[in-house]
Amino acid sequence: MTRLRAAIGAEWTKLWTTRTVWWALLSALVLMAAGAGQYALYAGNGDLPASVFRDGLVPAGSIAVLALSFAQLAFLALAMLAMTSEFSTGTIRSSLTWVPARGRLLLAKCAVVAAVTFVTGVVAGLLGSLVARPLLDDLGTSAGVLTQSLKIGLYLAVLGILAVGLGAALRGPVLTLVVLLLLIVVVPPLLQVPDIAVLNAVADAMPGVAGNHFLEGDSPLVGLAIVSAWAIAAVLAGRAVLQRRDA
Amino acid sequence: MTLEKLTKRFGATVAVDGLDVEIRPGRVTGFLGPNGAGKSTTMRMILDLDRPTSGRALLDGRSYSAYEWPLRHVGALLEAGAVHPGRTGRNHLLAMARSNAIPVRRVDEVLELAGLGGSARKRAGAYSMGMRQRLGIAGALLGDPPVVVLDEPVNGLDPDGVRWIRGLMRGLAAEGRTVFVSSHLLSEMQVTADHLIVIGRGRLLADAPLAEIVAGHASLEDAYYQLTDGSVLS
Ligand SMILES: Nc1ncnc2c1ncn2[C@@H]1O[C@H](COP(=O)(O)OP(=O)(O)OP(=O)(O)O)[C@@H](O)[C@H]1O
Ligand SMILES: [Mg+2]
Repeated sequence: MTRLRAAIGAEWTKLWTTRTVWWALLSALVLMAAGAGQYALYAGNGDLPASVFRDGLVPAGSIAVLALSFAQLAFLALAMLAMTSEFSTGTIRSSLTWVPARGRLLLAKCAVVAAVTFVTGVVAGLLGSLVARPLLDDLGTSAGVLTQSLKIGLYLAVLGILAVGLGAALRGPVLTLVVLLLLIVVVPPLLQVPDIAVLNAVADAMPGVAGNHFLEGDSPLVGLAIVSAWAIAAVLAGRAVLQRRDA
Repeated sequence: MTLEKLTKRFGATVAVDGLDVEIRPGRVTGFLGPNGAGKSTTMRMILDLDRPTSGRALLDGRSYSAYEWPLRHVGALLEAGAVHPGRTGRNHLLAMARSNAIPVRRVDEVLELAGLGGSARKRAGAYSMGMRQRLGIAGALLGDPPVVVLDEPVNGLDPDGVRWIRGLMRGLAAEGRTVFVSSHLLSEMQVTADHLIVIGRGRLLADAPLAEIVAGHASLEDAYYQLTDGSVLS
């Protein structure tokens, strides 16, 4: 336990001592604010689907969830780079001499990334709601904003772990980003377009869609379980690759 | 530190071929061999970075990863240094210290020791080669380890730096530590090392006191050429 705590301390220091983290978090907040503003205006124009309405009103937190489809890319970049920059800069050799246990190093990195994406995710959720609420005017409601923001934070924490695990498994930043984008952004809409039950079910099992079910759907726990399963699988794959391959 | 039939293959290349040696404390052991002889690979296996194809490297009977706080037992400078270019030298050492529960004041001690006090808050990407090398050496000393493994530490150092590292290695050995250092600078090794291990194409060519290897030759350089004749990459 003391060793895990020490490894987490080192990862914490590493994360905050390069500029990447600041740029990523700044981008995340900007994307969230801009996206929330845009969706809130859509709502005002009557351009949002009925599913967004609750008792005839648009919850500001739901606008933040819509805007998350942009903002999550910055969170993904942050989490993914925390791992893959180790390979692209060669620091993985240093890291593994400091903490030779591959599993512990990966766990420490997941813990730090999840903590940061959780807290900043909650902040982003609140920010998005804060931008959306006045723009929604009497169409909107602030009900459930805090719960929704906490859920956004939780989703981003799990997504962060998924990105770290995948980064360890695939090692390169480019490949990792491509796979993440395919899983979360590109493939699900392709599956959903034909509107065939089987393909929809497959899409529902993809991490981004499952995350959306967690945030907005009727069975949030199933959605959370699915994203978590993806994250655990990615971390196990990452650990296996770290253990098998030479540094 | 013992290497037991240590072997590493990369596909068809045998990088390290059945190395069986013991590296003792209290002296500087030089590790010599032509380019591609397998020195860096051996050192990476000692640090559990590369997994041996067969055999093992043990430190006081245990593998590197078996130590609770490895940096307090073995300090290492690897070839590439492996520092994030966007991180300052001091922050690099700070993270390193945290990882092994080493007190933070030790960071400033080794920075001073390595003559980096003035550049500690500069990004490592802006360091000269010699400064990166000094940062790596500072890292190797951070945990005050009884065993020090240095891969070509003299590379890129200015004359003052060369003299400094020579004194440092002699001092560490005099304190009873194990110092294992690879180098291509034979004249430097001749004045620093007590004992030499020479390899060529992954195989052990010599494992003997410096005096014994040099005996009968005009210099270590002459002795080295005779030993490694036929092992040089062509
Ligand atoms: N990751 C790797 N993949 C494939 N081959 C490798 C790898 N690392 C080293 N080798 C090969 O192993 C052999 C030993 O290399 P190594 O770097 O250990 O030599 P060295 O003695 O340190 O050489 P130098 O004096 O040039 O630093 C070389 O033939 C090299 O090409
Ligand atoms: Mg080498």
